[in-house]
Amino acid sequence: MHFKLRPATKEDCKEISRMILELAVYEKMPDQAKISHEELERDGFCQNPFFECLVAEVPEENKSKDGFTVVGYALYFYTYSTWKGPTVFLEDLYVMPEFRGNGFGKGLLCKVAKVGKEKQCVRLQLSVLDWNTPSRDFYAAQGAQDLTDSEGWHFIRFDGQKLDNLANEAPKD
Amino acid sequence: MDFSIRAANVEDCKDIARMILELAEYEKVADHVKVTQRDLEQDGFSKNPFFHGIVAEVPEQHKTKEGHTKIGYALYFYSYSSWSGRAVYMEDLYVMPEFRGKSIGKALMSKVAQLGLAAGCNQLNFTVLDWNKPSMDFYLSQGSFDVTADMGYHCMRCEGEALEHLAQP
Repeated sequence: MHFKLRPATKEDCKEISRMILELAVYEKMPDQAKISHEELERDGFCQNPFFECLVAEVPEENKSKDGFTVVGYALYFYTYSTWKGPTVFLEDLYVMPEFRGNGFGKGLLCKVAKVGKEKQCVRLQLSVLDWNTPSRDFYAAQGAQDLTDSEGWHFIRFDGQKLDNLANEAPKD
Repeated sequence: MDFSIRAANVEDCKDIARMILELAEYEKVADHVKVTQRDLEQDGFSKNPFFHGIVAEVPEQHKTKEGHTKIGYALYFYSYSSWSGRAVYMEDLYVMPEFRGKSIGKALMSKVAQLGLAAGCNQLNFTVLDWNKPSMDFYLSQGSFDVTADMGYHCMRCEGEALEHLAQP
Protein backbone atom coordinates (compact mmCIF):
# COMPACT_ATOMS: atom_id res chain seq x y z
CA MET A 1 0.00 0.00 0.00
CA HIS A 2 1.24 3.48 -0.89
CA PHE A 3 1.99 5.71 2.06
CA LYS A 4 4.01 8.80 2.92
CA LEU A 5 5.91 9.54 6.12
CA ARG A 6 6.34 13.26 6.74
CA PRO A 7 6.87 15.74 9.58
CA ALA A 8 3.60 16.74 11.23
CA THR A 9 2.24 20.25 10.70
CA LYS A 10 0.15 22.28 13.11
CA GLU A 11 -2.91 21.31 11.08
CA ASP A 12 -2.25 17.61 11.82
CA CYS A 13 -2.74 18.11 15.56
CA LYS A 14 -6.46 17.29 15.42
CA GLU A 15 -5.66 13.92 13.82
CA ILE A 16 -2.75 13.32 16.20
CA SER A 17 -4.93 13.96 19.24
CA ARG A 18 -7.56 11.58 17.81
CA MET A 19 -4.90 8.88 17.46
CA ILE A 20 -3.45 9.61 20.92
CA LEU A 21 -6.87 8.71 22.32
CA GLU A 22 -7.03 5.55 20.17
CA LEU A 23 -3.62 4.51 21.53
CA ALA A 24 -4.75 5.20 25.11
CA VAL A 25 -7.82 3.00 24.51
CA TYR A 26 -5.51 0.24 23.20
CA GLU A 27 -3.34 0.65 26.34
CA LYS A 28 -6.53 0.28 28.44
CA MET A 29 -6.16 3.75 29.99
CA PRO A 30 -8.51 5.99 27.93
CA ASP A 31 -9.18 8.44 30.78
CA GLN A 32 -5.45 9.14 31.17
CA ALA A 33 -5.31 10.95 27.80
CA LYS A 34 -6.18 14.49 28.86
CA ILE A 35 -4.37 16.53 26.23
CA SER A 36 -6.20 18.70 23.70
CA HIS A 37 -5.16 19.38 20.11
CA GLU A 38 -4.67 23.04 21.07
CA GLU A 39 -2.01 22.01 23.60
CA LEU A 40 -0.27 19.90 20.97
CA GLU A 41 -0.32 22.91 18.62
CA ARG A 42 1.13 25.14 21.31
CA ASP A 43 3.78 22.73 22.59
CA GLY A 44 4.90 21.19 19.31
CA PHE A 45 5.03 24.26 17.13
CA CYS A 46 6.44 27.00 19.35
CA GLN A 47 9.97 28.42 19.24
CA ASN A 48 11.45 25.70 21.47
CA PRO A 49 9.09 22.79 20.84
CA PHE A 50 8.66 20.14 23.53
CA PHE A 51 8.33 17.40 20.92
CA GLU A 52 8.53 16.57 17.23
CA CYS A 53 6.12 14.35 15.34
CA LEU A 54 6.01 12.34 12.12
CA VAL A 55 2.76 11.19 10.53
CA ALA A 56 1.93 8.36 8.14
CA GLU A 57 -0.45 9.45 5.39
CA VAL A 58 -2.26 7.41 2.73
CA PRO A 59 -3.75 8.72 -0.53
CA GLU A 60 -7.50 9.58 -0.66
CA GLU A 61 -8.37 6.31 -2.39
CA ASN A 62 -6.97 4.35 0.60
CA LYS A 63 -8.50 6.45 3.36
CA SER A 64 -9.85 4.72 6.49
CA LYS A 65 -13.47 3.63 6.77
CA ASP A 66 -14.14 6.84 8.72
CA GLY A 67 -12.47 8.97 6.05
CA PHE A 68 -9.04 9.61 7.58
CA THR A 69 -5.87 9.83 5.49
CA VAL A 70 -3.51 10.49 8.42
CA VAL A 71 -3.37 6.97 9.82
CA GLY A 72 -0.30 6.73 12.05
CA TYR A 73 2.16 8.87 13.99
CA ALA A 74 5.39 8.86 15.96
CA LEU A 75 5.87 11.50 18.66
CA TYR A 76 9.37 11.93 20.05
CA PHE A 77 11.73 14.36 21.78
CA TYR A 78 15.41 14.66 22.64
CA THR A 79 16.83 13.66 25.99
CA TYR A 80 20.31 13.28 27.43
CA SER A 81 22.26 10.46 28.98
CA THR A 82 25.04 11.69 31.23
CA TRP A 83 26.85 8.48 30.34
CA LYS A 84 26.49 8.40 26.56
CA GLY A 85 25.13 11.77 25.37
CA PRO A 86 22.12 12.82 23.24
CA THR A 87 19.25 10.38 23.02
CA VAL A 88 15.92 10.37 21.20
CA PHE A 89 12.92 9.23 23.23
CA LEU A 90 10.00 7.76 21.28
CA GLU A 91 6.99 8.76 23.36
CA ASP A 92 4.32 7.27 21.05
CA LEU A 93 4.27 5.03 18.00
CA TYR A 94 0.83 4.19 16.63
CA VAL A 95 -0.77 2.90 13.45
CA MET A 96 -4.55 2.55 13.11
CA PRO A 97 -5.51 -1.15 13.26
CA GLU A 98 -6.85 -1.33 9.67
CA PHE A 99 -3.45 -0.15 8.35
CA ARG A 100 -1.22 -2.50 10.30
CA GLY A 101 0.92 -5.13 8.63
CA ASN A 102 2.01 -2.77 5.82
CA GLY A 103 5.33 -1.60 7.28
CA PHE A 104 4.00 1.79 8.50
CA GLY A 105 5.10 1.21 12.11
CA LYS A 106 8.57 0.04 11.11
CA GLY A 107 8.80 2.95 8.66
CA LEU A 108 7.96 5.48 11.38
CA LEU A 109 10.40 3.88 13.84
CA CYS A 110 13.22 3.90 11.29
CA LYS A 111 12.54 7.51 10.37
CA VAL A 112 12.73 8.55 14.06
CA ALA A 113 16.03 6.65 14.38
CA LYS A 114 17.35 8.44 11.26
CA VAL A 115 16.28 11.88 12.51
CA GLY A 116 17.88 11.10 15.86
CA LYS A 117 21.15 10.04 14.25
CA GLU A 118 21.25 13.28 12.26
CA LYS A 119 21.07 15.09 15.60
CA GLN A 120 24.00 12.98 16.91
CA CYS A 121 21.82 10.81 19.14
CA VAL A 122 23.50 7.61 20.26
CA ARG A 123 20.41 5.96 21.74
CA LEU A 124 16.72 5.58 21.00
CA GLN A 125 14.58 4.85 24.06
CA LEU A 126 10.90 4.18 24.66
CA SER A 127 8.61 2.47 27.13
CA VAL A 128 6.19 -0.37 26.56
CA LEU A 129 3.60 -2.04 28.78
CA ASP A 130 4.63 -5.42 30.14
CA TRP A 131 1.45 -7.15 28.85
CA ASN A 132 1.77 -5.66 25.36
CA THR A 133 3.35 -8.72 23.74
CA PRO A 134 2.90 -7.69 20.07
CA SER A 135 4.72 -4.40 20.73
CA ARG A 136 7.39 -5.99 22.93
CA ASP A 137 8.04 -8.58 20.22
CA PHE A 138 8.14 -5.87 17.54
CA TYR A 139 10.72 -3.78 19.41
CA ALA A 140 12.78 -6.82 20.38
CA ALA A 141 12.86 -7.83 16.71
CA GLN A 142 14.29 -4.38 15.91
CA GLY A 143 17.13 -4.96 18.38
CA ALA A 144 15.75 -3.13 21.45
CA GLN A 145 16.74 -4.39 24.89
CA ASP A 146 14.36 -4.41 27.84
CA LEU A 147 16.31 -2.51 30.50
CA THR A 148 13.69 -3.11 33.19
CA ASP A 149 14.12 -6.87 32.82
CA SER A 150 17.87 -6.90 32.19
CA GLU A 151 19.11 -4.14 34.51
CA GLY A 152 16.22 -3.40 36.89
CA TRP A 153 15.40 0.16 35.80
CA HIS A 154 12.04 1.51 37.04
CA PHE A 155 10.26 4.69 35.98
CA ILE A 156 9.34 6.91 38.92
CA ARG A 157 6.93 9.85 38.77
CA PHE A 158 5.71 12.83 40.78
CA ASP A 159 2.47 14.43 39.58
CA GLY A 160 -0.62 16.27 40.86
CA GLN A 161 -0.63 17.41 44.48
CA LYS A 162 2.56 15.45 45.26
CA LEU A 163 4.44 17.44 42.60
CA ASP A 164 3.06 20.73 43.98
CA ASN A 165 4.09 19.75 47.51
CA LEU A 166 7.61 18.89 46.39
CA ALA A 167 8.00 22.17 44.49
CA ASN A 168 6.77 24.14 47.52
CA GLU A 169 9.66 22.80 49.53
CA ALA A 170 12.33 24.18 47.18
CA PRO A 171 14.80 26.50 48.89
CA LYS A 172 14.15 30.19 48.35
CA ASP A 173 16.55 31.88 45.91
CA MET B 1 25.10 22.94 57.28
CA ASP B 2 24.86 25.97 55.06
CA PHE B 3 24.50 25.21 51.37
CA SER B 4 23.17 26.97 48.28
CA ILE B 5 21.49 25.71 45.13
CA ARG B 6 21.98 27.59 41.87
CA ALA B 7 21.79 27.11 38.12
CA ALA B 8 24.88 25.43 36.66
CA ASN B 9 27.12 27.44 34.37
CA VAL B 10 29.72 26.25 31.85
CA GLU B 11 32.53 26.51 34.44
CA ASP B 12 30.75 23.91 36.57
CA CYS B 13 31.16 21.21 33.92
CA LYS B 14 34.46 19.99 35.38
CA ASP B 15 32.83 19.29 38.75
CA ILE B 16 29.66 17.89 37.15
CA ALA B 17 31.79 15.48 35.06
CA ARG B 18 33.59 14.42 38.25
CA MET B 19 30.32 13.79 40.05
CA ILE B 20 28.76 11.96 37.07
CA LEU B 21 31.63 9.49 37.38
CA GLU B 22 31.10 9.20 41.14
CA LEU B 23 27.40 8.47 40.55
CA ALA B 24 28.25 5.85 37.91
CA GLU B 25 30.63 4.18 40.38
CA TYR B 26 27.80 4.09 42.94
CA GLU B 27 25.57 2.51 40.25
CA LYS B 28 28.40 0.03 39.56
CA VAL B 29 28.86 1.05 35.93
CA ALA B 30 31.73 3.56 35.87
CA ASP B 31 33.13 2.09 32.62
CA HIS B 32 29.88 2.98 30.84
CA VAL B 33 30.53 6.73 31.08
CA LYS B 34 31.64 8.16 27.76
CA VAL B 35 30.51 11.77 28.24
CA THR B 36 33.40 14.15 28.95
CA GLN B 37 33.61 17.63 30.47
CA ARG B 38 33.87 19.03 26.93
CA ASP B 39 30.71 17.13 25.83
CA LEU B 40 28.82 18.64 28.78
CA GLU B 41 30.04 22.13 27.86
CA GLN B 42 28.86 21.71 24.27
CA ASP B 43 25.64 19.81 24.96
CA GLY B 44 24.46 21.84 27.95
CA PHE B 45 25.54 25.36 27.12
CA SER B 46 24.95 25.79 23.40
CA LYS B 47 22.03 27.59 21.71
CA ASN B 48 19.68 24.59 22.00
CA PRO B 49 20.96 22.74 25.05
CA PHE B 50 20.10 19.07 25.55
CA PHE B 51 19.91 19.54 29.31
CA HIS B 52 19.95 22.02 32.20
CA GLY B 53 21.77 21.63 35.50
CA ILE B 54 21.65 22.88 39.06
CA VAL B 55 24.49 22.52 41.54
CA ALA B 56 24.66 22.43 45.34
CA GLU B 57 27.54 24.35 46.81
CA VAL B 58 28.95 24.66 50.34
CA PRO B 59 31.05 27.54 51.73
CA GLU B 60 34.87 27.26 51.66
CA GLN B 61 35.06 26.20 55.30
CA HIS B 62 33.04 23.05 54.53
CA LYS B 63 34.89 22.00 51.38
CA THR B 64 35.89 18.34 50.95
CA LYS B 65 39.38 17.11 51.76
CA GLU B 66 40.18 17.38 48.01
CA GLY B 67 39.01 20.99 48.08
CA HIS B 68 35.61 20.72 46.36
CA THR B 69 32.82 23.12 47.23
CA LYS B 70 30.45 21.87 44.53
CA ILE B 71 29.13 18.78 46.26
CA GLY B 72 25.90 17.84 44.50
CA TYR B 73 24.00 18.33 41.26
CA ALA B 74 20.82 17.58 39.39
CA LEU B 75 20.62 17.41 35.63
CA TYR B 76 17.21 17.69 33.91
CA PHE B 77 15.49 18.44 30.63
CA TYR B 78 11.96 18.95 29.35
CA SER B 79 10.07 16.04 27.90
CA TYR B 80 6.48 15.38 26.85
CA SER B 81 3.63 13.10 27.76
CA SER B 82 1.13 12.67 24.94
CA TRP B 83 -1.47 12.14 27.67
CA SER B 84 -0.78 15.03 30.01
CA GLY B 85 1.55 17.42 28.20
CA ARG B 86 4.75 19.09 29.34
CA ALA B 87 6.94 17.14 31.71
CA VAL B 88 10.37 17.50 33.27
CA TYR B 89 12.78 14.57 33.38
CA MET B 90 15.46 14.43 36.05
CA GLU B 91 18.36 12.48 34.49
CA ASP B 92 20.69 12.59 37.52
CA LEU B 93 20.43 13.51 41.19
CA TYR B 94 23.61 13.16 43.24
CA VAL B 95 25.11 14.35 46.51
CA MET B 96 28.65 13.37 47.56
CA PRO B 97 28.51 10.75 50.35
CA GLU B 98 30.01 12.96 53.07
CA PHE B 99 27.25 15.57 52.50
CA ARG B 100 24.29 13.21 52.64
CA GLY B 101 21.69 13.29 55.39
CA LYS B 102 21.46 17.10 55.28
CA SER B 103 18.48 17.40 52.89
CA ILE B 104 20.64 18.60 50.03
CA GLY B 105 19.26 15.89 47.72
CA LYS B 106 15.73 16.86 48.68
CA ALA B 107 16.52 20.54 48.03
CA LEU B 108 17.92 19.75 44.56
CA MET B 109 14.92 17.62 43.62
CA SER B 110 12.46 20.23 44.91
CA LYS B 111 14.21 22.88 42.86
CA VAL B 112 13.83 20.75 39.71
CA ALA B 113 10.11 20.33 40.56
CA GLN B 114 9.74 24.09 41.06
CA LEU B 115 11.48 24.89 37.76
CA GLY B 116 9.33 22.29 36.02
CA LEU B 117 6.08 23.73 37.39
CA ALA B 118 7.21 27.23 36.38
CA ALA B 119 7.64 25.89 32.82
CA GLY B 120 4.10 24.45 32.83
CA CYS B 121 5.03 20.83 33.49
CA ASN B 122 2.57 18.35 35.00
CA GLN B 123 5.00 15.55 35.78
CA LEU B 124 8.50 15.06 37.13
CA ASN B 125 9.85 11.73 35.87
CA PHE B 126 13.10 9.83 36.36
CA THR B 127 14.37 6.26 36.69
CA VAL B 128 15.94 4.35 39.54
CA LEU B 129 17.47 0.88 39.73
CA ASP B 130 15.31 -1.63 41.56
CA TRP B 131 18.17 -2.74 43.86
CA ASN B 132 18.90 0.86 44.89
CA LYS B 133 16.79 0.68 48.03
CA PRO B 134 17.99 3.91 49.73
CA SER B 135 17.08 5.93 46.63
CA MET B 136 13.83 4.07 45.97
CA ASP B 137 12.75 4.57 49.61
CA PHE B 138 13.71 8.25 49.46
CA TYR B 139 11.72 8.94 46.29
CA LEU B 140 8.64 7.02 47.43
CA SER B 141 8.71 8.77 50.82
CA GLN B 142 8.63 12.13 49.01
CA GLY B 143 5.36 11.26 47.29
CA SER B 144 6.41 9.73 43.98
CA PHE B 145 5.06 6.44 42.67
CA ASP B 146 6.71 3.57 40.81
CA VAL B 147 5.24 3.69 37.27
CA THR B 148 6.92 0.40 36.35
CA ALA B 149 5.60 -1.53 39.38
CA ASP B 150 2.13 0.13 39.38
CA MET B 151 1.38 0.45 35.67
CA GLY B 152 3.71 -2.11 34.07
CA TYR B 153 5.82 0.17 31.85
CA HIS B 154 9.22 -1.21 30.86
CA CYS B 155 12.18 0.91 29.65
CA MET B 156 13.42 -0.17 26.22
CA ARG B 157 16.55 0.90 24.40
CA CYS B 158 18.12 0.62 20.93
CA GLU B 159 21.78 1.57 20.58
CA GLY B 160 24.98 0.64 18.74
CA GLU B 161 24.51 -1.66 15.78
CA ALA B 162 20.78 -2.09 16.35
CA LEU B 163 20.31 1.69 16.12
CA GLU B 164 22.58 1.96 13.04
CA HIS B 165 20.50 -0.71 11.36
CA LEU B 166 17.21 1.03 12.20
CA ALA B 167 18.44 4.37 10.92
CA GLN B 168 19.34 2.94 7.51
CA PRO B 169 16.63 0.54 6.43
